[in-house]
Amino acid sequence: MRSTLLRYLRARGARPDVADDVAQETLARLIALSQTQQIGSLFALAFRIADNLMIDTRRREMRQETQHSDDVDDEWESDDPSLDRILDSRRALDVLSLCLRRMPPLRREVLIRRRLNHESCRAIGEDLSMSAKAVEKHITRGLLDLRAALDRAGVDFAEFA
Amino acid sequence: MTAQRQEFDVIDREAAEWVDRMNRPLHDAEVAAEFDRWIMGDPRHVESYARHQALWQSGSLRSALEVAEAAPDDFGTFEDEAVPNWAGQAWKQFAGFAAVALCLVVVLSMGARTLVSESSYAAARGTSREVVLPDGSKVRMSGGTRMDVRITPWSREVALQNGEAFFDVAHEKVRTFSVNAGDSRVTVLGTAFDIDLVDSQTRVVRVYRGLVSVDAGAGRQWRLPAGNGIEVGGGRVRSLGDVRGDHPGWIDGWFDADDTSVQQLVQRINRGSDLPVVLADPGLGQLLVTGRFQTSDPEMVLEALAAIHDLQWRKEKARYVLSH
Repeated sequence: MRSTLLRYLRARGARPDVADDVAQETLARLIALSQTQQIGSLFALAFRIADNLMIDTRRREMRQETQHSDDVDDEWESDDPSLDRILDSRRALDVLSLCLRRMPPLRREVLIRRRLNHESCRAIGEDLSMSAKAVEKHITRGLLDLRAALDRAGVDFAEFA
Repeated sequence: MTAQRQEFDVIDREAAEWVDRMNRPLHDAEVAAEFDRWIMGDPRHVESYARHQALWQSGSLRSALEVAEAAPDDFGTFEDEAVPNWAGQAWKQFAGFAAVALCLVVVLSMGARTLVSESSYAAARGTSREVVLPDGSKVRMSGGTRMDVRITPWSREVALQNGEAFFDVAHEKVRTFSVNAGDSRVTVLGTAFDIDLVDSQTRVVRVYRGLVSVDAGAGRQWRLPAGNGIEVGGGRVRSLGDVRGDHPGWIDGWFDADDTSVQQLVQRINRGSDLPVVLADPGLGQLLVTGRFQTSDPEMVLEALAAIHDLQWRKEKARYVLSH
């Protein structure tokens, strides 16, 4: 469980020290939860807890960065990593936009409805007159295309990095 | 290679399906159990799942979709254009190539053969060796490492035959520096990085300065900035995000193991040791260790390994033996 969690966190771009801490905390919470609740998928729950902890960590770090930058001197200290991060997310946005533009319009529509508007597969299917299964296929295929486009463009894409 | 590619495709497709399924509010017990089985089935599953989940949840995807939703007209008519941001870059690169081409014309008329340098280097087992290449790049070779180097006015190419080497590449604007390591290829302009040919399949690349591009064939490519590393082999990929310092530890006789196999650690020792370490049972090589080991002192490492995994070691006339 621990090694799978670490693998998950590292593949999502968490720094090794952060991944260790988050994995530890996730396991502790998982154990606490398992004593009071019936858990469906252990891994799904673990990943969700880890995601939330990562977001918290990230927010805390960003707050600290902003506090630091109040000091004028600190501006001179290397901002390179965050600049890289901005450039990478800028490129990621370009690549994703281009890929969405090249996609069949129907698939794009499905992705917008599912990801932005959180519509269920069944509702999307009814609106666009296709089966829920076909909606799922569009989402899977769309996600694969987007991921492949990022890999091809060599964008170092890891959300938590 | 194609089979491997297909295997990756299947894993990615399954991962994308699971991302969609797991992002729904309710799953029944059967689906939940199936997901757990799938995750545990193969370490590549969790990595692929994480990569696709990261994309699905990312702010970048949300922004891109918002743009697409806001400007459907623009999106309807697609023209095959380059992403504008890269146009400038591409032009610069072209100008660079043009300059090289011009030089080439001059060089060729002078007789290019004299400017092509080809050499082979080897470091004896037990000693590391530093060589300076004709372009000014420095290579520190670990014991038992062999490589061929070919430098032309338009390219710098190294074929790493075996072992491990740390490259401190002299920066040049146009002429790339490539290292071929079996199925993997590393390309840079000017950086410092280390390549380790662990076995016939596994390569480890660690980056200490700049940015390198790693191509593992089968369409798999990564860009690694300084401080990162990657282990590619046997169809699996592992990222190593804890590369510290400005040169690899083995140069100073240290090795940082991070869920590393005993096999790999022993190989490290043997590159620098007078007496080789052998495993009484090959299965021992699969055990994993984490920590900082002083590989220049084999006996100390063996002592540590024995303590970690409850093993024995002994010194014989011409070797060390590690056993249960």
